[in-house]
Amino acid sequence: MSGPRRLSVPRRVAVTAADDGCPLAVDGREIDSVREAWLIEDRWWTEKPLRRRYWEVVTTCGRNEIVFCDLRSGRWWRQR
Amino acid sequence: MIVCVLFPRFALATALGDRGELLQAPTALAPEPGGAQQVGEVSLAAEAFGIHPGMRLGEALARCPRLTLVPSDPAGVADSWERLLVRLESMGAAVEPERPGLVCFDARGLLRLHGGIDGVLSAVRRAMRSPARFGVAPSRFAAIAAATRARARRPEIVRGGSDAEGRKRASAFLAPLPVALLRARPALADLPEALERLGIRTLGELAQLPPTALADRFGATGLLAHRLASGHDSALSPRPASEYLREVLELPEAASGTQLQRGLEMLIDRLLARNERRGRTFRSVVISAVLVEQGGTWREQVVFREALSDPVRMRLALVPRLEYLPAPAESLRLAVERFGPLATDQRSLLDDPAAARMARLREAIRQTRAVAGPDAAMRVLEVDPDSRFPERRAVLTPFEGSSALPSPSGAATDRADRRR
Repeated sequence: MSGPRRLSVPRRVAVTAADDGCPLAVDGREIDSVREAWLIEDRWWTEKPLRRRYWEVVTTCGRNEIVFCDLRSGRWWRQR
Repeated sequence: MIVCVLFPRFALATALGDRGELLQAPTALAPEPGGAQQVGEVSLAAEAFGIHPGMRLGEALARCPRLTLVPSDPAGVADSWERLLVRLESMGAAVEPERPGLVCFDARGLLRLHGGIDGVLSAVRRAMRSPARFGVAPSRFAAIAAATRARARRPEIVRGGSDAEGRKRASAFLAPLPVALLRARPALADLPEALERLGIRTLGELAQLPPTALADRFGATGLLAHRLASGHDSALSPRPASEYLREVLELPEAASGTQLQRGLEMLIDRLLARNERRGRTFRSVVISAVLVEQGGTWREQVVFREALSDPVRMRLALVPRLEYLPAPAESLRLAVERFGPLATDQRSLLDDPAAARMARLREAIRQTRAVAGPDAAMRVLEVDPDSRFPERRAVLTPFEGSSALPSPSGAATDRADRRR
């Protein structure tokens, strides 16, 4: 039997961001509005700390997306 | 003819792992968290300071201030010991494990198969694949005493059967040995100290005392000690051949509290979904965990009041045990120690529609798994519903009919709260 499978695992996504880090386009779709942004830091006491800036955005085609930027690697991820 | 196989300092050597050089220094197993403040097995160098297993920690440190204390590894010891026992059983020996590192079996059934006691010992040595000491004697206690005197490649053999002649030989062999050997029997652990205070230093001196005097002074333990010193012992009671069924859950983030509870529930579901169970109930199980920061391991045996296959009742019995965990865990294991009879539900006088629906659901799950494998029926289990990281909140785990009830702690929480 396989082990437990996590749900809501982050997946890579292509995001174009402004200089201040605010996303401008997600997978080529332009952002219409930013609904919310928040920062999460955890496990700072370990060798693999987690630092993420989340953005909840609405694209011009009406999709509601939650993306985050891993502040350690600079990569963007999509998460639901 | 009883054969005793002894692995000296088995628990200490297992806990040390690849730090074997510590066996050359004064080293002892640290007291178990929450248990009595007594040291466990000790190295030879620690024995030279007068430290022995079971000694109070304060006294041990007073005798040797540079004593190195090693966290015990009960789960690792149990795993290694089980592997060795299975190797012995696979060559036909009906074993009675005394404690990890010490096992006895009756060699009578194997003598002709291997051409005598020397052949049996050679076969055992090959099967174990680890250096051990062997003692052979007519009684179990004499065999254990012989194993403690044996050298690595030279077994100590006391010839004779279980008749009067054999007992006489065993008694003669035991006569010059110290009474401290009685510590091998847990019921007699405290007796040697009292005997030594009274000037009785050898088992021969003990055997010469009248049993009535010993009974008068020490009660039943005195009589037992006299019987052992005289070459008598009770017959072996070999353990039933066991099956090893275990599920392990690695916890990427050190877990405790609700997370650990959810992990245990998941392990119960996975264990119940194993095909090897073949519909049987569980009589006793073992929960074990690897603790964070190399804090060793933790192990707890749970014997159910009655054999169970109901995940809800198993949870009720097992989850409270997690409170005894001394530190957050890196991995959690659940193993079946003993199976019960086949699970059979007693029918009630009146048909319960909910029970009937549940039975149909279970049957549907069983058939689905038979066709598409154990991962065919899954459910979402909230592991850490309040985590700020979405990927930590829930996992997919095997679906068990009666375990699919909503849990009170799984109530919806405001997403905004999670972000703070």
